[in-house]
Amino acid sequence: MRVATSRFLENLKMAFDTLRGNKLRSFLTIIGVVVGVIVVMLISAIISGIGMAFEEQIKAFGTRSIFVNKMDSGIRFGRPSREERMRPNLTIADALALRTLPDVETAVPSLNVSSGFFGNATVVSANGKQTSNIRLSGTLPEISRAETEILVEGRWFTQSDVDFKKDSCVIGSTVKDTFWPYESPIGKTLEINGRSFQVIGLLEKKPQLLGGGGGNNDASNTIFMPIGSALRIKPNSEDIFILVVAKEGRVLQAKDQVEDMLRARRGVTFGKPNNFSTATADSIIEQFQSITAGVALAMVVISSIGLLIGGIGVMNIMLVSVTERTREIGIRKAIGAKRSDILLQFLIEASTLTGFGGLLGLGIGWLLAMLVRLVFPSYVPYWAPPLGFFASVGIGVVFGLWPAWKAARLDPIESLRYE
Amino acid sequence: MYDTKSDQMYRFMENEESEGQPRSNQAPRTLISMENIWKTYQMGVEQLHALRDVSFQVEKGEYLAIIGPSGSGKSTLMNLIGCLDSPSKGNYWINGNLVSDMTDDELARIRNKEIGFVFQTFNLLARATALHNVELPLIYAGMRAAERHEKAMQALESVELGDRVGHKPNELSGGQRQRVAIARALVNHPSILLADEPTGALDTKTSYEIMELFEKLHQEGNTIILVTHEHDIAERAHRIITIRDGKIEKDEKTK
Repeated sequence: MRVATSRFLENLKMAFDTLRGNKLRSFLTIIGVVVGVIVVMLISAIISGIGMAFEEQIKAFGTRSIFVNKMDSGIRFGRPSREERMRPNLTIADALALRTLPDVETAVPSLNVSSGFFGNATVVSANGKQTSNIRLSGTLPEISRAETEILVEGRWFTQSDVDFKKDSCVIGSTVKDTFWPYESPIGKTLEINGRSFQVIGLLEKKPQLLGGGGGNNDASNTIFMPIGSALRIKPNSEDIFILVVAKEGRVLQAKDQVEDMLRARRGVTFGKPNNFSTATADSIIEQFQSITAGVALAMVVISSIGLLIGGIGVMNIMLVSVTERTREIGIRKAIGAKRSDILLQFLIEASTLTGFGGLLGLGIGWLLAMLVRLVFPSYVPYWAPPLGFFASVGIGVVFGLWPAWKAARLDPIESLRYE
Repeated sequence: MYDTKSDQMYRFMENEESEGQPRSNQAPRTLISMENIWKTYQMGVEQLHALRDVSFQVEKGEYLAIIGPSGSGKSTLMNLIGCLDSPSKGNYWINGNLVSDMTDDELARIRNKEIGFVFQTFNLLARATALHNVELPLIYAGMRAAERHEKAMQALESVELGDRVGHKPNELSGGQRQRVAIARALVNHPSILLADEPTGALDTKTSYEIMELFEKLHQEGNTIILVTHEHDIAERAHRIITIRDGKIEKDEKTK
């Protein structure tokens, strides 16, 4: 065992000497491997970076929230199907009915009035400024019990605000930044499609996906108002989703109960799928993870192609090296090297070459991942560096095998005669 | 797995049948024993006999020269003695080992333990230092680094190159390179030092020095076989075997 180890180290040392003797060629040979490993590092860093940012945002929904939507929830590709578009709307009455369920603490409808009667954006103006990309939602006072919206200043509207049809509203932090960046917005007035609203509350800033961007992606660019006020802005609005707040620790039971009740209310027959969706933070994260797993698989395939090309380069150069060093092989055999010694020598040389390429790729990939982090979430997962390194070494072993075998089989007499 | 004994018996019987002559399975007491060695190459339909029925013995401590013109079979004989090749027919014993039936890896072990090669063109590894070149046979023998280092240093000192251990071949003169090669050949204490035209690439003065070194090594008890086509080199040996057309033409003691 000890002898084998020392022979291995000896071979490793000889391999380093050879590679040092052919610096430029060695470097050119491993470029393919280096690029392959960089790709693995970068893509895995970006995927897991997006994943972490996404999870952070979804977790802000809280562990008790269930989102009920007419359309299927989560990440979708392409337009919704005809069946989805033809589904009946959820109603305020649905939300109120859900409140009677045993494991539901409360349920609030949220009516989207961001765009007006003719599809034109609803204009919001205040303090001499004007904007039209704010998400406007009409809801009920029980929104105050939701985990998703947290007040930092002021208060939510109450049942009396609703009863007396007072036009009051709670604004997201981005709205405050737009209109009143340097003062408290509480008590100020803003105009929505010409109607005056008094600001009574300010919400906490929410985590953002992809480091900012604003616009529709910004969950803090939002205004909540009593549902009656929202219906006065857009009387025909039917775009409702329902936020259900489950009792502590009962979110799964609550979800089942919500689904049973809505199936009954919406006349879904036995055996048919739901014509609405219920999503919890966990279910959305799960869905996202299944998508990133697919992307990760694609990444593995793409970088395998890169590494394969790198490996062929390595095989090519090792074949050249074996031919060039025929005489050296002859000398080594003459003084007692067995086939296995020569085989081992060239295998170790090839895998040292690619292993070095792997390390170089890891270093560059890590630096690039750090750079990307400045503009985009990126995080190198713990498994990426060892995977990259061992894949590189493996490439060397696999693609070095044939050249090494060729070297091992050379005839000592002819090799010694080789010029 | 076959029973070794019956396997040997089988081989013995096969040989007896095919060659019609019994084969001695008793190891001879001499260092080298070649018994009825043939080496035949197939050139198309024709058979080319490089060696025809060559037999000779070498005792321990002999200083032998093998001489002959090119094409005489001298190189073929050297390759056989050096265990780089196996004979087509016949038995070859070296230091009690029957090498004519050995596999590649067994031959490699014999080359490592029993034979020290010295070549006309030195055949040192260009990128390795003198010390590393000398250590190489010990690496393949599986010796540990510290012991190896010490032995290689001793071998280099015995050829008076103790102050050149860190030099690479291209930083050494021709004579120095050949002395590194001799140190490499001796480091594993082989049974024979096998030199192929050791002075062929050297000028007269350096050749003289190298031959002095061989003389000294012989006096220290090493067995030396010198393969050459130069008579004045061969005459320094104590026994000369002349090869012509694949046969031993003359085998004479000169000193």
